[in-house]
This record gives sequence, C-alpha cells and structure tokens, in this order.
Amino acid sequence: MEISPWVLFWASIFTSNILLTNFLGMCSYLSVSREVESSFGLGTAVFFVTTATTAINWAVYHLIILPADIVYLQYIIFIIVIAAFVQLTEIIVERFSPVLYYTLGIFLPLITVNCAILGISLFMIIRDYSFIQSVAFGAGSGLGWLLAIMLLAGIRTRLREKFIPTGLQGAGMSLLITGIMALAFIGFSGIVNVQ
Amino acid sequence: MNYLKIINEILILAGISGVLSTLIVVAKAILQNYGDCEIDINGKRKVTVKGGSSLLTSLAEESIFVPSACGGRGSCGACKCTVIEGGGPILPTEKPFFTAKELAENNRLACQVKVKNNIKIEIPEEIFNIRKFKSKVAKIEDYTYDIKGLTFDLISPSEIDFKAGQYVQLRSPKYAKVRESVTRAYSISSKPSLKNQLQLIIRRVPEGICTSWVHDFLKEGQDVEITGPYGDFFIRDTKADIIFVAGGSGKAPIKSMLEDLAEKGCDRKMSYFFGARTTKDLYLTEYIESFSKVFPDFTYYPVLSHAEPEENWQGKTGFVMPYFPEAIRDPKNTEAYLCGSPGMIAAVTKGLKDLGVPEDKIYYDSFA
Amino acid sequence: MKLSPNDKIIQDKMKPGILTADGFLGTDKRNFRDIIAEDMKVTSTFERSLEDISRRMEYLMEKSFLSYDSSIVVDGKYEVEYNSYRGVLLSPFPKAGRFGKATIKVTNMKNHFSVMWTPLHVHFIRDYGFFEGKGSKFRIEPEILYKAIFD
Repeated sequence: MEISPWVLFWASIFTSNILLTNFLGMCSYLSVSREVESSFGLGTAVFFVTTATTAINWAVYHLIILPADIVYLQYIIFIIVIAAFVQLTEIIVERFSPVLYYTLGIFLPLITVNCAILGISLFMIIRDYSFIQSVAFGAGSGLGWLLAIMLLAGIRTRLREKFIPTGLQGAGMSLLITGIMALAFIGFSGIVNVQ
Repeated sequence: MNYLKIINEILILAGISGVLSTLIVVAKAILQNYGDCEIDINGKRKVTVKGGSSLLTSLAEESIFVPSACGGRGSCGACKCTVIEGGGPILPTEKPFFTAKELAENNRLACQVKVKNNIKIEIPEEIFNIRKFKSKVAKIEDYTYDIKGLTFDLISPSEIDFKAGQYVQLRSPKYAKVRESVTRAYSISSKPSLKNQLQLIIRRVPEGICTSWVHDFLKEGQDVEITGPYGDFFIRDTKADIIFVAGGSGKAPIKSMLEDLAEKGCDRKMSYFFGARTTKDLYLTEYIESFSKVFPDFTYYPVLSHAEPEENWQGKTGFVMPYFPEAIRDPKNTEAYLCGSPGMIAAVTKGLKDLGVPEDKIYYDSFA
Repeated sequence: MKLSPNDKIIQDKMKPGILTADGFLGTDKRNFRDIIAEDMKVTSTFERSLEDISRRMEYLMEKSFLSYDSSIVVDGKYEVEYNSYRGVLLSPFPKAGRFGKATIKVTNMKNHFSVMWTPLHVHFIRDYGFFEGKGSKFRIEPEILYKAIFD
C-alpha cells in the first residue's frame, strides 16, 4: 500500500473515521459523551495515546514480534504495551501538570480498555503500514475519535431540553444519532480509499 | 524443539512485561518520590511528613483532624483550609466549592491538595487544637455512689490547650461482654492552666457501655485514648451576672470555669445552683463553697429534691427554679450556664425564660 | 421462626455489648422474631392496639419531661419518674435513628403495678411489638404495662 501519510492522516479523520466506520471505542464514547468538556478531555487523551502507542507498537511488532515469530501473541503484547504506556503517562502528567491530570482524571486509566486503540494497532499491522504511515494513521484516528465524541456530546447537550420518548432516552438515542452521523460520514468515503 | 520454542516465547512475553513494569516502577520511584516535606500550620507548629499523599491524610497522620464527610473524595467540601504557600495550582475538582473571593484568599480543599514540597497552611484554631492523646489514669476518686472523678496524665502529646467548659471524647476498649470499642464525650473538670493533666467527672449511666467500663473496669495506671477538646460551651467575656446550674456530673465544666475565672480574676456576680436528690448525691461541696472567698460575689446553692427527714438537711429543698429570683438582679443582664441531663436543661431553660432571661444568653453543651 | 439475613444482623445487634452493655435479649434463648411472636399472642387479646399503647407511653413521657428528673403525678393516678441522661440510645432495627437516653418509671397508684421503659421502647413497641427478651433488665411484661398505664 503506497498511500501518502498526509492523505492517510486526513482520511482517518473523515473518510474512514475509526468510530463512525468501524464502530470501535463505543463504550467510553457512549458513556462520556454527556458533557462537551469531559468529552474533550477524553478525546485529547485518546488522541495522545493512539499516536504514541501506534508508534511503539509498530516498533515492538517489527523488532520483537516478527523476528521471534510470535504473531499470535500480538494481541496480548499490544495490550500490555498500551496499559504500561497509559500508566507511565499518568505518572508523568501527575508530576508535571496536576491541572491536566485532574482534568483527564479517570479518563486516562479508562483508555487502556478503549478498543479503538487496540484496533488501530491491529489495523496498522493488517494493512502493513510503514512507520510514518502508522503514526499518521494513529494520530488521524485519534483526532477522528475526538471529533466524533465532540459531535455527539454537542448534540446530546442540545437534546437535553427536547422531548425524547422514554424508550429512546439515554443509550438508545445516542446510538440512533451515531448511526445518522455515520451515514453522513459515508458521504466522504468516495474521496479516497485507504482500506 | 517445540518445547524450546514455547519456553522462548514465554520468555519474550515475560521479558516485555518485565521491562515495562520496571519502567513503571522506576518512573514511580523517581517521579512520585517527593521526599520529606514540612507542613507549617498556622505558623505555630511544623510537622514533617512523607510527600505524595493529600494534605488531609498527611495532617490526619499527625493527629490533626480536619473535618471531612466524604473521606477525601472531594465531594463534600468540608475540608476547606487556607494554603498560603506550596499548594500548587487550584484544581478543577476544587473550584465548584469556592467563591471567587475565597479562591483569591488561597482557600483549598485539604483532600485535593497534594503535599509535594514544603507547604504553609492555616486552619481554624479549634481544629488545630483537637488532638488524639495517649494518657494514663493517675487517680480515680469516688465522689458519690454513682459519680467518679478521674485524673489522667497526658503522655503524648503531653499538653492540652482548651477553654474551660469544653469536652473531650474518651474511647472505651472492648471489655467483658462488650465487643465494640465506643467513644463518649465528657466535660473537662480541670482548669485550662493545668496542661499536662485532665480531670473528668463521670456519672454511671444505666446500661451505659462507656460509663460502666469507667466505673467497673478502669484501674489506676491504665492507658486510655482521649481526643479533644471540642465544644463551644465556655464563659462569654462580658460584664453580665452569671448563674450556673448543674445537676449530677454537670459540675465538671463549671468547676473548670470557676477555677479558670479564679486564676484570671473576676468580679462578676455569680450564683451556682446544684440540684441533687439527697445528701448522698452531694460532692465537692466544701471545695465549691471555698470560691466565695476567692470571688467578691459568689454564692453556692445546693438544692435537694428528695431529702429524707433523717438526713437532717438544713439547706434548700425542692427544685432549683424557685430559688432563681433571689439570685437574679436583672434578668436582661444575666448569663446562664447549664450542665446536666436533658430533662434538667429543658426544665431550667423554661424556668429562666419565664423569669425574663434572654434565650440567647442561656448556654449549655449540646453534646446530648 | 427462621431468621432472614437481615434479621440476623438485627439479632446480632441485640446481643450484649453492641448497643448497650447487656443487650436486649437477656437470658432468653429464643430469637427476637420468636419473642415478638410470643408476645403478640398476649397483646392481641388487649382491647387497645400497639399504636395506642405507645401513644399512651409518649403522653406520660411528655407530661413528665419537664419535671426535672423527679417524680410527678399525672392525671391523679400515675406516678411518673423521668430520669434523663446525656447520650443517645441506638435502635438495633434498621433506619430507626437515635433516641434520647432516659428511663421512665410509671407506677399506677390504684393497682400498684409498676413498669420502667426508655424512649427506645416506645419505638420497639409501636413499630415491632418488641418487649425485649426474658431476663433482660428492661424487659416489659405486656400485661403489666397495659395494666399500669391504662387501668
């Protein structure tokens, strides 16, 4: 696959948004999208972690997993790397920026179990991206996730005063909106094909 | 061959985990180690704590108990204090609890401030004074058949600062059938200037866990845990006449107040009513009467409600209320300090109000 | 009667040394549900309900509270002695709250029946029909209570 990293970056934000085309990272997307402010906090944290972990995981995959021929262990190894990285980030942020630490709060450790992040690492392997491509893909997907959760949070804030049938309140309504948003994003998909 | 491969793979996986864990451990050791930090409290006391935990828990370890209802989760806002230096930036978790003015005055939540360097704080004097004391029973005296006077030597900390009239909490351990350790409040009967000792007067309460322990099990020389001082029952610094009313073990805070006033000097008119049932319930009578030599205008009125004829009681009988008029010169200019059972407080408060003593000048301990 | 898990917690709280020095069960070997059931057989023969009994107890307490810890005569035939103490009594039953510490001793001057209770017992009787276990210091015999405060 020879796609320019620049194209890949924009493509993973809009045309193949990780959340709206692959529906990955739904749990925190649905539960944290109540407020724009906390959505932004979580989205930023996701962006940061996806960018860094795709880079680390690319290196781990090509320098350790492939030579040792343990591809079947990649899921475990990727998860371990992500978890450890999140831990480290937490320690560093706490020391040097307590304000950011408290803004991110519980979201940082939550990221460990965000499937979008593992998904991005796995896509990068399946699609056989180069290192630069991987980083661009990771950063773009992270931004895409941030965009998606911000959009939903914005809509949900506006919906708060509107009448919603009892059966649709909460997750039901959020999933419907996500579906419509995904439809809208499909409109982009003809522009470039990165998959 | 296959075994080797499996072992090899396990080793690689273990190696990756090992390296990452080591990284985290090293990061924690370097980044989360703040060393020993010094907390300067009210400019009066300095404590050294290990950095890294919250101000609230660090202070609690030093036996300074800033009130907290939520246990340090930042949801109740009770642990407000002033951080003058070294608290770091205000956190989003704290902001909702403060007004703009309070924020400008460096108010913080003690549970959210992490001690990362030397820090200077201010907390209310009352909280600052509340400490946990290790003490030893120095003396147990029998005042009456159901009232004991106890003297404690304070061991660590060895001194207490309190206002006459305040109370402390005593912790009774598990004993005999009692399988729970309980804390109960008792007024201090010794004077504030006696800093290394505490005296309490404790009356046996039927079925009471703590008082039964004090009366039946506590021996001289035993170790006891005391926390305090608490309470806002103390003499107001005015020129008004004072009327004390006590019943049962209610003599304790008033004894402390009288001894304190005697040391400081006081020329206010004072009358002290002590209500009891029979002569068997009277105690410290001569000692209290001796205050009439210390103060220019002090009268002690022990009143017995159930004196038997054979007791040959010459003094006043019945309730204390009917004798108030002879002690009160000007009801508007009289402060009343009451200590006793809830029934007594209720009856006396009503009696005083009927005589015209303003309700806001009737003081009593509310630790019922 | 077998105790439910919630009842077991209550039963444990009634044992000596948990809420009061001697507990609420005395020397009684039965559990508190059985004690209540047994006493219910007696109280169901009364003309008045448990609510009436507890209201009557409250009435006598109210009349004597301001008596400053000594006995007074209420309605010309009940000698009531109200002794209050500093402190609180806690109920072993859930969500019942705190009660002031006091003992109320009522002697019926006509038939000379005499009972003693605490503010906690009014709640026990009204809400649960519980009169404490036999051998407990504060056990109230329902017939005696009934005769003392109504006759």
